[in-house]
Amino acid sequence: MEPMGKVLAIDHEKCTGCRLCEIVCSVFHDGVSNAARSRIKIVKWESEGVYIPISCQQCQDAPCKIICPVKAISRDEKLSRVMVDQNRCIGCRACVAVCPFGAMNFNVIDRKVFKCDLCDGDPQCVRFCEVKAVDYVPADRVSSSKKRAAAEKISTAQRQAVALEAESR
Amino acid sequence: MALNRKIAYIDLSTGKIEIKPIPLNIRRKFLGGRGLDAYLLYNHTEKGCDPLGPKNTLMVSGGILTATLASATARTHVMAKSPLGGMIGSANMGGFFAPELAWAGFHHLVIKGKADRPVYLWINNGKIEIRDARHLWGKTTTETQWAIREELGDDDIKCMVIGPAGENLVRFANVMTGIKNSGGRTGMGAVMGSKNLKAIAARGTMDIKIAHPKEALEYNKRFIDQITSAKVNQTQGTLGTPFIWGATNSWGGVRCRNFQYNQELYCDEIEPEAIDEVCTETIGPYHMAGCFACQVHCRAKYRIPTGPYAGAYDEGPEYTSQGAFCGEPDCRSMETLLTGNHLVDQWGMDNLETGSLISWAMELYELGILTDKETDGLDLRFGNDEALLEMVRRICFREGWLGDTLAEGGIIASERIGKDSFNYLIQVKGVSNLHSDERATPALALNVATASRGSDHLRSRPAIDLYHLPEEVLRKIYSTPVPYNGPLSSEHTEYIGKPWQVFWQENCYMAVDCLGICKYHTVFLGATLPNFEDWPKVLYYNTGLEFTPREIWDIAERCNMIERLFNLREGLTREDLVRGDMLNHRYFDEPTRRGAPDVVGRVIDREKFRKMIDEFYEYKGLDRNGVPKPETLKRLGLEDEPSHLL
Amino acid sequence: MGSEKEGLSTAESLRKTRTYGQFRCHNPSCMGRLQPQPGVNHVKCPACGMEFRVAWIKPNFPRIRGPVWDVNQKLAEEAFERKMKEEKRDGVK
Ligand code: SF4
Ligand code: SF4
Ligand code: SF4
Ligand SMILES: [Zn+2]
Repeated sequence: MEPMGKVLAIDHEKCTGCRLCEIVCSVFHDGVSNAARSRIKIVKWESEGVYIPISCQQCQDAPCKIICPVKAISRDEKLSRVMVDQNRCIGCRACVAVCPFGAMNFNVIDRKVFKCDLCDGDPQCVRFCEVKAVDYVPADRVSSSKKRAAAEKISTAQRQAVALEAESR
Repeated sequence: MALNRKIAYIDLSTGKIEIKPIPLNIRRKFLGGRGLDAYLLYNHTEKGCDPLGPKNTLMVSGGILTATLASATARTHVMAKSPLGGMIGSANMGGFFAPELAWAGFHHLVIKGKADRPVYLWINNGKIEIRDARHLWGKTTTETQWAIREELGDDDIKCMVIGPAGENLVRFANVMTGIKNSGGRTGMGAVMGSKNLKAIAARGTMDIKIAHPKEALEYNKRFIDQITSAKVNQTQGTLGTPFIWGATNSWGGVRCRNFQYNQELYCDEIEPEAIDEVCTETIGPYHMAGCFACQVHCRAKYRIPTGPYAGAYDEGPEYTSQGAFCGEPDCRSMETLLTGNHLVDQWGMDNLETGSLISWAMELYELGILTDKETDGLDLRFGNDEALLEMVRRICFREGWLGDTLAEGGIIASERIGKDSFNYLIQVKGVSNLHSDERATPALALNVATASRGSDHLRSRPAIDLYHLPEEVLRKIYSTPVPYNGPLSSEHTEYIGKPWQVFWQENCYMAVDCLGICKYHTVFLGATLPNFEDWPKVLYYNTGLEFTPREIWDIAERCNMIERLFNLREGLTREDLVRGDMLNHRYFDEPTRRGAPDVVGRVIDREKFRKMIDEFYEYKGLDRNGVPKPETLKRLGLEDEPSHLL
Repeated sequence: MGSEKEGLSTAESLRKTRTYGQFRCHNPSCMGRLQPQPGVNHVKCPACGMEFRVAWIKPNFPRIRGPVWDVNQKLAEEAFERKMKEEKRDGVK
C-alpha cells in the first residue's frame, strides 16, 4: 500500500463549517490557535449555507514549484506532498499568486509562505473532522469515490423521474 | 495567550475608548464570560437605572477558553439590565463571533452611554473604532452583516447585530450573528437599539498561544469523543433541537394554547423527522452545520419550500420556534413554522418571547379580555396561522394597538390590557416561560422559578431528571465535586432531592458560561458529558492555569451570587409574582390534561414547592427571604461588592 | 497535573452506562426499557399500553418519533377522569 501515496480528499457537501480543522492545524504546527495560520481554510457562502474546505492539492506538476524563482519548492514523493524550504524562500509570493486553489498562504508576521504538509503523514484536520469532510485516502480512491457519488445522484434522479412519470399518468 | 485578551470600555456618548488587561486575580475569581460580565454589571450600573436609558451598561464577552483548543468555545455572552423584567438581562449565542473577537484581542467589552446617531463598532487586531451606521439602520440582521463585510472589504468579518426589532426597542429584541445564532432572551437587542448601536464587527489574526499544545490536542480528541459518542448528541447532530420538543411533546411536557394544555395533539406535520425531510429536500443529505469548533453540529439548514417566502434560506428551526409557531398557538403547518422562524431571524426578535406573548394574547382574545377593537380586527383565535405571522410583524414594527402593546413585553402589556390579563401571563421576573410545561416535573418548576434572568431552562434545569437514571448514577454525578449525602430520586414527578440537583446544575451551567463553551457539552441533556472534573484539564492545557474541580465550583457559586445580588438590588422579593422566585398560579391550580397517563392530572404542590425553595436557598447560603447571609458573602469573597476593581 | 497518565473522570466512567438500541417508554411509571426490533416503526409498551411511532437515527439507534395519537390520547383521558374522581374522594394529591 505504501508507495501509492495518500492525499487529502475533500467532500465539501459534508462540511459543517465548524472550522475545528483550522484550529488544530494551527495548534499542531505553531502551538497557537489562529485561523490565519491554518493551512486549511473554510471558504463560506454564509447566505446559502455553503462551506468549502480549501487546502493544498499536492499537485503532480505543481504551478508553485514551477514558478518559484529560488527553487524553494519541491515534491516529496514519499508522502506525495509539495514542500516549501523555509530557508530558501525569499517571500516573493509568486507561488501564492499562481496557486489555482489559493492554498498557498502568506504569513504577514514571519513574511514567509506556508502550506499544507500533510502533518508528516498524520493529518490533524482529518483526525478531528468527525463528518469526514476531509479524509486521507489513497490517491486512486478519490476519483472512484467521486464516481460512486455521481452514480448515486444519477440513479436517484432517474428513480425520481420514474416516480414522477408514474404519478402523472 | 488566552489570558492576555483585553477588556475595552467604550463610552458611546463621548466616544472615549479605554483598553485594559484583565488581572489574573480577577480571572481566578470570575474566570470570564457570564461570570465576569455579572461582576461588571454589578459594578457598572446604578440601582434602578432605566434599562433603555444611557445609564444601562452592555457587556459583550467570550469565555476564558474562547478560541482555544477546547471543544465548541463558540459562545458569545451579552449582559445588561433587562428591559423586560428589570432584573439581570443575559443572553448567550453560538456561532463564530466571540472567537473572532478574541483573535482581534478582546474577551470583554463594556459599552456605556448612547451615541447621538446610529453607529457600529469595528474591532480589528487590538483597535476599536466607532463608525457611522446611518446607512445600516432599518436593515435586517443578515443585510446588516453582509453590508459591513462589503464596506470593510473582508468576508471573514464576524458581526453581532440587531435587526428592526432592536431599533424599534421591542423589549425582547435579540442580538444575532450569522443566519440564526441569537442571543435571544431578555431584550439585549433593545438595549443595543437604545444606545443607537447597530452592530459590532470583529476581525482578528492575533495568535492565542496554547500553553501545552501537544497535550491540548490529545486531550481535546478525548473530550470530543466523549461528547460525540453520547446518544443525545448524535440525535442532536441529526435532527437538531426539534428532537427535544418532539420528545417532550410526546409525553406531555410542552406548553400548548398558552398554558391550557401540556401537549399539542396530531402535530405529525411539524415533527423533527418531518423538518429533517424538508432540509434534505431543499439542501441535501448533509444539511447540518456546526458552531465554532463543534463536532455536534446541531444547526439544520433549510429553504422555505412554500408560501410568500418560498426559496428563502435560513437555519434552524429550533425547539423554541416549534414552541412559538406550533405548540403554543396550536398551529401545525411546516410553512408557518419555517416562515415564522425566518421572520424572527431576519428582524431580530426572540422567538420564545414572541410566541409566548402572542399565545397569551390568543387566550385573552378567546376569553373576551381582548376584542377586535384591540386587535384591529385580527381574528386572534388559536390555530390561526395567518394571524400568528401577522402579529409577529405588528410587534416588530409596533403596528396597531396590540402590536405596540405586546412589544413592551408581558408586564407592561398586562398593565395596559388590564382586567385579569396578568393572571394568564406565564412568566417569571417579567420573562415568558419556555414552551415547556413543568407541572409534572417539580425539579424543572423549581429551576424556572429561581432562574436569575427570569424564567429560563438554561440557568439550572436538571434535564437528566427525565431519564429515570438509577439512583447510583445520579449520586455519582451530583456528589462531585462537592459531597452530597441527602436523598435523590429517579422519579421525575418527585420533590425530594431536587433542590440539590437544581443547585448543582446552576453551578454547572454558570461554569460553562464562564468557560465560553456550549451546554450540549456538559451535563444538560446527557448524563455522561464532561463537567467539573474534566474542565481543569482543558483549562490547564490551554491556558496553563491550574484549578481543582472544587475551585471551579466555588467560582460558579460566587458568580451566581453576584447575579443574585444584582437582582436583590433591583428589588427581587421571594414570592413576588413580578420580581420573585415565584410561578404563575396555574402551576398550582390547574391540573395537566394530556400526555402519558402518569403525567395527566398533575399540579405543583404549593407547600412542597415552598419547601423546595427553602432547601434551595439553604444550599445557596440564603436566608428564608432569599437574601445572602453575611457568612455566605464572606465565604465567597463578596463582602465588599461592588468593589470596582475592573 | 501536566502530562502524567490520568484516570477517568466521573463523566468518562459513566460512559459504559450508555445503552444503544433501546429507549424508555414515555410514561414515568415505566422504568423498563423498550427495545424495538430493527427497522420497525411502531412499538407498544407492554407495561402501560402506550403506543409510539418509532424513527431510526441510525440502523441500531431508534427513537420515539411521536405518540400513536388516538391510543395515547384515550389513555390520557381515562387517566384524567380517574384522577379527578380520586381527587374528589381523597382531596388534592
Ligand atoms: S473540521 Fe471538517 S466539518 Fe469542520 S470545518 Fe473542517 S472540514 Fe468542515
Ligand atoms: S493535513 Fe495537516 S497541514 Fe494539511 S491542512 Fe490538514 S492539519 Fe493542516
Ligand atoms: S452543540 Fe449545537 S449549539 Fe452547541 S456549539 Fe455545537 S452546533 Fe452550536
Ligand atoms: Zn409504558
